[in-house]
Amino acid sequence: MTAALTIDGLNVRFRLRDATVHAVTDLSLTLHRGELLAVVGESGCGKSVLAHAVLDLLPANAATTGTVQFGAGSRPVRELRGRHIGLIPQSPATALTPVRTGRSLLAETLRVHGRATTDADTVAAEAGLDPADLDRYPFQLSGGMAQRLATALAIAPDPAVLLADEPTAGLDRPLVDHTLDLLRRRCAAGTAVMLITHDLTAAQRVADTVAVMYASRIVEHRPADEFFTAPHHPYAAALLDSLPDRAFQPIPGHPPMLTDLPAGCAFAPRCPHASPDCAAQPAISDGAACHHPLSVVGAP
Amino acid sequence: MPRKRRLRPLSWLRPGTRGAALAAVVLATAILACLLVPLLWPLDQSAVALDRINQPPTWTHPAGTDDLGRDVAHRTLYGLRVSLLIGAVAALVATLIGGAVGAVAGTVGGWTDRILMRIVDTVAALPHLLLGIFIVAMLRPSLGAVILSIGLTHWLSTARIVRAELLSLRTRPFIDAAISGGASRVRVLTRHLLPHVLPRMALATTLMVPHAVWHETALSFLGLGLPPHLASLGNMINDGQRSLLTGAWWASLTPGLAIVVVTLAIAAVAAHWRDRLDPRVRAELQL
Amino acid sequence: MSARRTVGRRLLVAVPVLAATSMGMFALGAASPYDPAEQYAGAAAFTATDENLAQLRANWGVDDPLPVQYWRWITNLVQGDLGWSITRHEPVTSVIAARAGWTLLLVGAALALVLVASLLLGTVAAYRRGGWLDRGLRAAAYAVEAMPVFWLALAAITVFALVLGWFPAGGLTDIAADGVHAGDVAHHLILPITVLAVSQAPWFLLFVRDSVADSLRDDHVLAARGRGLPGRTVLFGHALRTALLPFLTLIGTHLPELVGGAVLVETVFSLPGLGAVTVQAALGSDFPLLAAITLVTTAVVLTANLLTDLAYTAADPRVRLDG
Repeated sequence: MTAALTIDGLNVRFRLRDATVHAVTDLSLTLHRGELLAVVGESGCGKSVLAHAVLDLLPANAATTGTVQFGAGSRPVRELRGRHIGLIPQSPATALTPVRTGRSLLAETLRVHGRATTDADTVAAEAGLDPADLDRYPFQLSGGMAQRLATALAIAPDPAVLLADEPTAGLDRPLVDHTLDLLRRRCAAGTAVMLITHDLTAAQRVADTVAVMYASRIVEHRPADEFFTAPHHPYAAALLDSLPDRAFQPIPGHPPMLTDLPAGCAFAPRCPHASPDCAAQPAISDGAACHHPLSVVGAP
Repeated sequence: MPRKRRLRPLSWLRPGTRGAALAAVVLATAILACLLVPLLWPLDQSAVALDRINQPPTWTHPAGTDDLGRDVAHRTLYGLRVSLLIGAVAALVATLIGGAVGAVAGTVGGWTDRILMRIVDTVAALPHLLLGIFIVAMLRPSLGAVILSIGLTHWLSTARIVRAELLSLRTRPFIDAAISGGASRVRVLTRHLLPHVLPRMALATTLMVPHAVWHETALSFLGLGLPPHLASLGNMINDGQRSLLTGAWWASLTPGLAIVVVTLAIAAVAAHWRDRLDPRVRAELQL
Repeated sequence: MSARRTVGRRLLVAVPVLAATSMGMFALGAASPYDPAEQYAGAAAFTATDENLAQLRANWGVDDPLPVQYWRWITNLVQGDLGWSITRHEPVTSVIAARAGWTLLLVGAALALVLVASLLLGTVAAYRRGGWLDRGLRAAAYAVEAMPVFWLALAAITVFALVLGWFPAGGLTDIAADGVHAGDVAHHLILPITVLAVSQAPWFLLFVRDSVADSLRDDHVLAARGRGLPGRTVLFGHALRTALLPFLTLIGTHLPELVGGAVLVETVFSLPGLGAVTVQAALGSDFPLLAAITLVTTAVVLTANLLTDLAYTAADPRVRLDG
């Protein structure tokens, strides 16, 4: 398998007037061609910042360290956006330029990336959007139609890496399934997809691998089938247990503020297995960053 | 269609605390000087000294003398005194008119509100300096005419602020709670609404003062404000225009600078005050 | 909302407001301590016989009840008869006709200049926000905002006319000129136009700068960048198009300031526009001229407001197509 996206030691900090937000900490991962990676976690854990950091779209008060590499090349991200790496943005309703029709936006994107503007209808159809709806303005589209238009815009240049930031938020089940199937089809064609979502059910449906983010760090990153049957990190297990079709147990307590993270394991205050060891930051081993991974705790 | 913002020029100033403190000191000094100058350094408004006309700044006349030999610095202090007084009174008049309109619109609501706000939008589109000139011309240039002309043309922003504040208050739970708790209308108004609205009205009045000062100086400058022999900032700049052609640039420089400094100081203090009233945190990022 | 509804709604308020304004003005004029008949007779009033004055008053209907006088005045006004200027001894229409052009030229040129400059500089400042240009422009804008335009005009005359000698200090043509030549007029108008434009620039500049800076962080602009569109396309096709729509209505709401500024600038530069004649009329309590200028200007400004509203309606599909 060839690496399509390699992130190494990524850190993102936001300087506010009287605080520093630790949005992404020591994050390393590799995404391969044809792989669908689901990055899951509660809102406010840094997932969306990760997508914007990969695309180099963060605001000026963000300080980023670490490297993000696409394929084997070393060109800066800003030259690769669109053509090599596409983004299906969060909240498509606001991500579409309000004063232009879908067709004008789609044709522009196709033209900039050297494709014929006549392909617009094909691309729209692939994203599940009726080509006739391309002549509408974004405010005339329903949430699902806007979502499919945003998806069409992202896949129009046929990027090798596709970041999908909560692409199923606010959609009803059939549309969720449609969107997930589309992502799956892209993977089959060799695209590497990073699906950022808080919807574990969606992740379970399509993901090859799952990365769990908690308080700016990846705490578990393993193949999806293993993850969903036997999570290692207590947070991942608690997250799964909160699903309606499982124990339906909410996780006690609240996630820590990203402006005020503890020195050791950030989950320790909510963790039933916490011990004095947890005051030190655990390293990732066997796919989980935990001093007391569940497979060991659960073993006799 | 978005609601039209009539941009008050000073609403953009957002200095930090240190700037606001400096501005407050400058403003306090200016006000104190205006209050004390008749006691410490009385001015004979009609006095002229033809033996020292158009003298450049020196130690005895730090801002020079004008074409009638009058000390520019001394008259600037008097002019500032008059301008600030007119500005404050006119701003109060404007606040009373605007406050009344805004209160009716914000409490009655419905069609009354819509019609009143449409009228406010339209009146905002009237050329207010021309209307001011008209009012002053028909009433004969005088202190009262100037104040009335400012009051009648500058009440719009206060009306909008008071209305918006009342409308937003009506939807807040504590008002509902007070009403359902059996509080009388008067009690709701005095105990719950006024304490929220008054600080904002006071702020609007403060921000109005520089506008009133400009309006007054503009009228005086055109010869339509205070009687020409009186030291007012507009009169002085007008007088200075005569001296300008003989090279005496200082006669209109100092009164103009006084307007600029006082305006900036008021704006900075008011901006800081507003930030404390509405601590809107600008969240630059969504996590 | 359709264009027709915009026009209808505007007129529904504008006409009553104009009517109320004219009534207020007329009442104020009637209550003023000046007797138009005596004014017309001018210095001769002291020698004129009571009979002559009575004849004058009868001719003008000065002693009719106020509503009758108002109705006569306003119907004449609407039919284009603006009355007789007491101070200039000629019909108000010819006073306005001879001078309105210069004022329109001054206001129009200043508006064009301020729009182009503020769009350009505001966008660049927003694009490089926090940079030296951004900081410098903002500081300058705050400072200029606090300066009365007539003071700014005097400063400009001092520097550019008296010290540097680049431009004339006032007037429309050279004293030695034998007529009105375009080059001469342009040379005389550069300074007043620039002063008026600079004095109005802060509002526009800061508005453009702030709204473009905000819109550069908008979701749809980030998304456009995420699609790999070139910077220029993102700026002009996505950021400016949404950020500057409210700018259209801003131009309309800002016209009253521009008119006020023009009156002051014309006075300082002794230009033969409506500004100077307004002041003259005010000093002479010339009700017909002053009222006509004020009402005509008000009507023009309200119309311009309506036009910018229509332009906005046409430019924003959300308004154009909604309902």
